[in-house]
Amino acid sequence: MPENDKQGLSVVTCTAPVNIAVIKYWGKRDEDLILPINSSLSVTLHQDQLKTTTTVACSRNFQQDRIWLNGKEEDINNPRLQSCLQEIRRFSRKRRNTGDSTSDASSVSHKVHICSVNNFPTAAGLASSASGYACLVYTLSQLFGVESEQLSAVARQGSGSACRSLYGGFVQWKLGTQLDGKDSLAEQVESESYWPELRVLILVVSAEQKSVGSTSGMHTSVETSQLLKYRADVVVPSRMEEMIRVIRERDFPAFGELTMKDSNQFHAICLDTYPPIFYLNNMSHRIISLVHRYNQYYGETRVAYTFDAGPNAVIYTLQDHLPEFVQVVRHFFPPEVNGEEFVKGLTVCSADLSEELKRDINMEPTPKGIRYIISTKAAQERWTHN
Amino acid sequence: MPENDKQGLSVVTCTAPVNIAVIKYWGKRDEDLILPINSSLSVTLHQDQLKTTTTVACSRNFQQDRIWLNGKEEDINNPRLQSCLQEIRRFSRKRRNTGDSTSDASSVSHKVHICSVNNFPTAAGLASSASGYACLVYTLSQLFGVESEQLSAVARQGSGSACRSLYGGFVQWKLGTQLDGKDSLAEQVESESYWPELRVLILVVSAEQKSVGSTSGMHTSVETSQLLKYRADVVVPSRMEEMIRVIRERDFPAFGELTMKDSNQFHAICLDTYPPIFYLNNMSHRIISLVHRYNQYYGETRVAYTFDAGPNAVIYTLQDHLPEFVQVVRHFFPPEVNGEEFVKGLTVCSADLSEELKRDINMEPTPKGIRYIISTKAGPGPCVVKDPNHHLLGADGLPKKSAISH
Repeated sequence: MPENDKQGLSVVTCTAPVNIAVIKYWGKRDEDLILPINSSLSVTLHQDQLKTTTTVACSRNFQQDRIWLNGKEEDINNPRLQSCLQEIRRFSRKRRNTGDSTSDASSVSHKVHICSVNNFPTAAGLASSASGYACLVYTLSQLFGVESEQLSAVARQGSGSACRSLYGGFVQWKLGTQLDGKDSLAEQVESESYWPELRVLILVVSAEQKSVGSTSGMHTSVETSQLLKYRADVVVPSRMEEMIRVIRERDFPAFGELTMKDSNQFHAICLDTYPPIFYLNNMSHRIISLVHRYNQYYGETRVAYTFDAGPNAVIYTLQDHLPEFVQVVRHFFPPEVNGEEFVKGLTVCSADLSEELKRDINMEPTPKGIRYIISTKAAQERWTHN
Repeated sequence: MPENDKQGLSVVTCTAPVNIAVIKYWGKRDEDLILPINSSLSVTLHQDQLKTTTTVACSRNFQQDRIWLNGKEEDINNPRLQSCLQEIRRFSRKRRNTGDSTSDASSVSHKVHICSVNNFPTAAGLASSASGYACLVYTLSQLFGVESEQLSAVARQGSGSACRSLYGGFVQWKLGTQLDGKDSLAEQVESESYWPELRVLILVVSAEQKSVGSTSGMHTSVETSQLLKYRADVVVPSRMEEMIRVIRERDFPAFGELTMKDSNQFHAICLDTYPPIFYLNNMSHRIISLVHRYNQYYGETRVAYTFDAGPNAVIYTLQDHLPEFVQVVRHFFPPEVNGEEFVKGLTVCSADLSEELKRDINMEPTPKGIRYIISTKAGPGPCVVKDPNHHLLGADGLPKKSAISH
């Protein structure tokens, strides 16, 4: 419920999570409605480690909509922002017209001030548009009293993957078949408490070259990659089924292998784009190599990587393997000696590495290749309201 | 014709070229016969810059088959080598039985000594198996009197892409439909004199990590990449048609774009393999970036890259653009100051770069990122070396002291 005060100022604050796709979204079939060419599936991360916090204030005294992101005022006329604001207001008016509203009758026509911050650095290259738009849309919906079932479509129009951040645990964004996109929505597959042993590490790589942005990158892929259509029409549908099945069976080796394969196929599509897009850099290749060698040593998939449109690695593993793998990363990517805390977030127990393991992995250490690690896990659906 | 002498020693020396694919071969449908899952097309490079020279000597006095590669004796029992030797001997016997032979009736049952050298360093990472097997097979065919039409199949069984090195100019290796592979053969699309303005640069990158070998790499790709079958069945057939058309039309922008796209798709398949294979490294990415920015500056495709299973870049361009592009490479990949000659092979005229071009490309130079460049062009197929002084084997059937690698 928004706070109202004598000046007619309503204020709501919410938080929303980041999500990391294990079956990737890359390519739209409709640029305006942001409808994807294939379904996707993600794991929502815990807000204790990563979240966006957004406050929206609404008042009859505000002259115009305004927005501040991470302390800096940004352009409110950004088309995606406008899309979200217009859609939320439209839903709100519809509700009032049907007599459902319990909120302040005039608030939807008032201007809003939006302030949003992330508890993780933008420079870390962690996609914040998903958590950002999910938070904005959710907060606005709280302010204007819009039902949550309709939020998927609104969030999606801000940033495709934002709709997946509206749910906790394991979330799928269904492709949909309708041209108007009304059935292109996110839904929870399983909650985070379904697989409590699953753990996530974000390996923040030293910042290097600027990447091609996702929106233009995926547009160029759709235009130029002959392999992409086949991926979307044939490969992803069966992978979605398989992914849902292996999550429900809590089959980590299968989950891990499929996650790695889909990450690689996404980057393969980027390479098949013209001009080609390279998101994986030398450090990403080394991390990939490390994971494969580590799994090979144990003869099973204990750890899995996935990479989005940037060089940072997201590692999935089970709680039991976490201490040793973090130690492996520390050994092969030794951090700055008196630098910042190397492992942030959830505590990771220490572990010793056998000489045999180190010898078998057989890679040259890359000092300072990884700036730091964020240790986290899947998140419950939990929103903070003030 | 093999030279015969009183000891019954026959000697033949031949040379064969390297070829660089513009539509890539990656994946077999038959591992024994080396039949590919898709057709491929290549440009044969000029032997003045890159070639394999092979001498084969045959004598009733030799105890066993032996082979020396770049000065070192190697294992003659390598299955691919054995495959070639057996196939050539089989064809030769068939000819004698049908009465076609003009060569020494008993030579096919004699043992052979083979000595082979490349005029380019192995460390350069330039695939020498194609030129090597093409040369071996061609030389053996000269010795045993086997018709050239049958050589494709024999060379292919040594190393798939070797069959494309049996012809000059622009060569396609047809996928074939028969299970026995008898129709999976190479044939010339156009000769090397068809497009004389076409030029080739090989950018030899500083050697880094070891790559996954082609044979095992493509096997893993066939086993694990879901995109590969689609590439082979749907994408490549139409690209082959297009490539043949753009070559015949001498349409460089179209040729260049298609070449780059197919190189990228090959590497995309490698990334879609499990575990993924990375042949392109940081330096390769920079070269790719440079080419795209250079082309963008001029608003047309003037230069094209292609990469095989390694970090070296092969650049295709037209003669007119060569001096400037070489200067661009020199500027953005400044070589060692007192190092080896940066541009080897065919002479490249000097050129100035405008400040505007350098500014527009807008890349940080990468000193010593490229070790050297080989400047070359399309060239002819294998040929016989007539001068007996160039035999790599002496009268004793052993490598001459001069037959060592560079």
